[in-house]
This record gives sequence, structure tokens and C-alpha cells, in this order.
Amino acid sequence: MKFLVVLACKNLTRYKRRTIITAVTIAIGLMLFILIDSILIGVDRESVRNLKWYETSSVRIMATGYWEDRLMLPLDVSIDDPYTKVQLLREHGYDATPRIMFAADLILYSEDFGEDGNLPVQVTAVDTTLDNTVFRFEDTLLEGRFAESGKNELVIGSWMAEDLQAEVGYWVTLVTRGNGGFFEAMDMQIVGIVNCPNPNVNRSLLMVPIDTVADYLAMENLATEIDIALPESADTDVEAQAITRLMAESGKGTTVMTWKDLAGDYLAMMQAERGGSSTMLFLVFLIAAVGISNTMLMVINERTRELGMMRALGMDDRSIHWLFMLEAGGIGLLGSSIGVALGMLANIYIVQEGLDFGFFMREMDMAYRVQSIFRGAWSLRSILTTFFSGIFLSMLVAWIPTRRAIRMDIPSCLRHQ
Amino acid sequence: MIQVQNVIRNYKAGETVVKALKGVSLDIGDGEFLSIAGPSGSGKTTLLNLIGCIDALDGGEITIEGQPVSGMDKKTKTEFRRNNLGFIFQTYNLIPVLSAYENVSFVLSILNIPEKEIEERTMRILKEVGLEGMEHRRPDRLSGGQQQRIAIARALVKNPKIVLADEPTANLDSKTGEEILKLMKEMNRKYHTTFIFSTHDSMVMDYAARLVLLHDGQIVSDERR
Ligand SMILES: Nc1ncnc2c1ncn2[C@@H]1O[C@H](COP(=O)(O)OP(=O)(O)O)[C@@H](O)[C@H]1O
Ligand SMILES: [Mg+2]
Repeated sequence: MKFLVVLACKNLTRYKRRTIITAVTIAIGLMLFILIDSILIGVDRESVRNLKWYETSSVRIMATGYWEDRLMLPLDVSIDDPYTKVQLLREHGYDATPRIMFAADLILYSEDFGEDGNLPVQVTAVDTTLDNTVFRFEDTLLEGRFAESGKNELVIGSWMAEDLQAEVGYWVTLVTRGNGGFFEAMDMQIVGIVNCPNPNVNRSLLMVPIDTVADYLAMENLATEIDIALPESADTDVEAQAITRLMAESGKGTTVMTWKDLAGDYLAMMQAERGGSSTMLFLVFLIAAVGISNTMLMVINERTRELGMMRALGMDDRSIHWLFMLEAGGIGLLGSSIGVALGMLANIYIVQEGLDFGFFMREMDMAYRVQSIFRGAWSLRSILTTFFSGIFLSMLVAWIPTRRAIRMDIPSCLRHQ
Repeated sequence: MIQVQNVIRNYKAGETVVKALKGVSLDIGDGEFLSIAGPSGSGKTTLLNLIGCIDALDGGEITIEGQPVSGMDKKTKTEFRRNNLGFIFQTYNLIPVLSAYENVSFVLSILNIPEKEIEERTMRILKEVGLEGMEHRRPDRLSGGQQQRIAIARALVKNPKIVLADEPTANLDSKTGEEILKLMKEMNRKYHTTFIFSTHDSMVMDYAARLVLLHDGQIVSDERR
């Protein structure tokens, strides 16, 4: 065995250039792998964060039956006494806020917008003081200010504002049905435009004060949902169970769901996009595998006579397999080391600066809740896995050409030119 | 010691069958210095490969030390060669990245002999073949004759019962070839190792203690001198 290691090492220095070229191929493959993987992990983590911060919160309480009808945005399936519940949650250390979601027609006027128009929208009515304890819109104002309690004021997402060519100060009307089915029209002035890291929100957000809306829609002391923020370290499922118990004590008629339940569509799309990405990762690995297998084929072909000699002298098949696996593993080790070193170096940039895909995200309706800059993330496990797979796969790839050489009869090996 | 009985070996070359050995019988005793001679294509390599357990019989039997070769499986043959046989090739077949010393000592490494003994035996045999002081040279820094001396040392270092040499001098000039033959003969006398070597060179035949002439896959003469 010691002899095999010595021989393998010496053989690697025999064809220095080839060894280095192959190692560099592997290194490039692994480096790309590390970077792509880093971005995928980074984007996923950031997407989840942006989902929680701007869309779903961590845990949501709804009236039982609301989730099934959520596409209708019903006002009559709502939570009673939301502030009592919010208070109870706060006493138990949960940051919580009530919201009313409703569907409306957004009417645009030619005085402001240049021409008349209307479009169906979804409106989010928020508690102007509590909402920021759960969601993170605070720092996202692009223009203007947030709506104030009790006023007919509207805050709008940046992409939507761009699409409508809306500006701060413009007036619009929201036409909707109140709780009970009556028609209601609310004149609202746009007071702020927000641009947050979640493209889905920028595309669709219309935010109004909850007390203004409650008055118009007969939703006093009612909410369609209560959103709860959990600290990063919390176990969402465990907390959701605790919240469920808490709600059960304070009365019936509510259902608790986590962001994972709420973002089921997102997770499903993520899965699909991940599928596409893993094809790409597979291709990257394939480059490395083809590089090493080609080299091993050449190496074994060139040394067929040497192999024949060693076999004639009584070296068994296992030792010969080991010899070439060690040689391939040596190239793999070299390639993996360079690849991981370069990958980690480049990843510093990817994590800190990120790659700008802004031009792309605006046009594409992707599941990722990341606005333009894709930042990587560190995953030691992923990097170690890459490192060892590089070595292991290299060794594995040597197996087939070695076996072919071993199957050749010894006289043919010895006659080989 | 070696009994070759009515051995047949056919090669399929596409549609046609080449009869490389057509019933060869031969008895080889302990410590013989035997040359298998004959023109190119007469079956010398084939016969050596069969005795060397690296090729399979199509008919007949070869018995070495009472052990029939046809009954051995692949693993047994490998083990048998490892323990009992030495090989010398026309093209030396040294490992270019290893020193003279390493080219010889690895044979003992695969026999799991202790490091200290490997060193002793390797140094002794290299000295005997006349390579003292060149142990650390790689083959590319040695002449053809010196490289073949490494090969002889490699074949002999494990004290095999039999050394098989297929045209060991064919790649050497006649003077160097003679030196190699003298060395082989000396080793044959000293260690009582059976040497079987093939050649088509009449000068080489002159060194043989016994000369078996092959022609067209058959033995045409077998004389001792
Ligand atoms: N693997 C093979 N396939 C087909 N024919 C072969 C093979 N090996 C040897 N032969 C044929 O067998 C005959 C004997 O070959 P060989 O033993 O190599 O002769 P020598 O060593 O005396 O030159 C030749 O005709 C040769 O062409
Ligand atoms: Mg021959």
C-alpha cells in the first residue's frame, strides 16, 4: 500500500502539465459549483426573510375558514376583537399586528394620471403603529411618508407606482364592498411610495390605515388576520403550536398557520427553480468528471504495458484499482483544493457585494423574493461536501478505465505499444 | 519440475484461426538454462506466456512443481506468479518514475516482506547485477544494458524458482547482449534458478545449456550441450 501511494505520487509528477490542466478543470468546475450553490442558498435565505418581513410574517392567525376562501378576500370571515388578541399575544412576548385585506377596484383619474382607468387590486389595511413591529416597511420609503391613522391616505409599491405612473399627491378611489355586501367608495391620496427588497410586494402593495378602512367597511373591531413576527432563532412550528393553544384559551374560531403554510406556492415554485438550478450544477460537475475521466483514460492507455508487467509480476487487481484511484484522487485533491480556495475567495465578493440581476428580475416573474441583487451565503457544509465530492468523484471516475485495462489479458497488455 | 504436455494454443484473428502451438511437449528440470529458439512467429512468446501463467491453454496441460496450470483460477495464478515466477522482457518494462532501487524493491513490497529485509535484499541483488552506486538513478539515465540489469535484478530479487525471459537481448547490441547472457548464466549457476529464455539470435542460442527449436508451433529439435 505504501508502495502504491509512492508510485501514484511519482506518476502525478510524471506528467506535470497534464496533471495541472486536469486539476484546473476540476478546480473551475468546483469553483463554479461553490458560487452557484452559494447564490442559491443566499437567495433562498433572503427570499424567506423577505417573505416574512414583507408578506407573510412568521405566523398568521385567521378566522377558521378564511384560508379556504382566501382568494375571495372575504370580510365576513374575520377575527373578533383583534386588539384583545394582539394584547394577549404581546403579553406572551409575541410581536403581533392586525390587518384587513380586501379586494377593490382602483379608479384612476385623468387629472392626475393623464387618462381615466381602473384596475382590480388587493388592499392591505394596517395598524399604523403596530405594523412596523411585525413587518419591516420602516426603511423602505422611496418617496413621501407613511399613511397616518384615520386619514384617507395610501402608500403604494414602487413597481406599481411606476406602472401606473403614480406620484405622491395623486388622488385615487377604491371601490369595494363592505362587510355585509354594500358598495363603498373611498377617495385616497397617495402619500408615499415604498421600495422594499421583495419584488412581489413592490409589484402589488397598496397600504392604507386600518382604522380608516374599518370605518368605511363596517369592520370595526374586526380583522381578517393577525400577523406575528418571531425571532430568527425561534422554532416556527413550536411557536405556532404555543400560539394555537393561546388562541384556543381566548376563544374559538381561529386558525394558526406558519409562513411555510402561507407561502406554499412560493415553496413549490422554489422547488421547481431549484430543479432547474441543480441541472446546471450537474452540468458543472460533469465538466470536471469529463476532464478527469479523459485524463485517466489517456494515462491508463499509455501505461498499458507497465500494467501488464505489474500484473505478470503478481500484482493483484485490487492493488491496480487502488493505484489508479490514488492517482485520480491525487488530481482530485489538487483540483478540489484549488477549486475550494478560489471558490471561497470569489464567494467573499458574492456574499458581500452580490450579483446584480435587476434588469432580469423586473421582467421575469420569478418565485424568488429578492430584488435585483443576488447575494451568496456561506455554507461550510456545502463547501466541505464539494471538496470531498471532488476527490471522491475523481477516484470513482478512474474505476471504469482501470477495469477495462484489467480485463485485457496480460499478453495483450505486454504487446501494447 | 515443469511438464509441458501436448500443449495447444489457437488464436482467433477475425474469421481465421492461427494455430500458434500445435501440441508441444517438453520436460524442464530444476536449474536448467534453456533457450527456446525459432524464427519470428514460431510460437516462442506463446509458449513462455503459457508457462508463465499469463495466458490460457486451449489443450494439453502444463504442470509446474506438480501443480496443473489449467486448474488454477485467476487469483491463484496471480498468487502463483507473485511467489514463484520472475519475468524479463524484451523492452525491459521498467517503471520510468521509479529509481533502479524502487523498480526492484516493489516486487518484495507486494510480497509483504519487512522493510529492512527488502532493503538488504534489493541492495545485494543490485550489487550482484553490477549496478552498485546507481540505485537512485531512474531508468532514463541508464543505458539499455543497465536497464536490462535492473530487470534481471527485479526478476531474481524474490528468489523465484523460474525466470522467464522473452527475447531479453533483442533490443541490445550484441556485445551488451552477451554481457546480459553471461549475467543470467552466472545467476543461474549461483542460485540454481531455472532460466527459460527465447531468442531468434544464433549467438544467444550458443549460451544455452539446452536448446529447444520451435518451428511453426511445433518442436523440431531439443538438444542439450
Ligand atoms: N493475440 C494474438 N492474436 C492472434 N494471433 C496471435 C496472437 N498472439 C500471437 N499470435 C500468432 O501466433 C503465432 C505465434 O506468435 P508468437 O508466440 O508471438 O511467436 P514468436 O514469439 O515466436 O514470434 C504468430 O503467427 C502470431 O501471429
Ligand atoms: Mg515473440
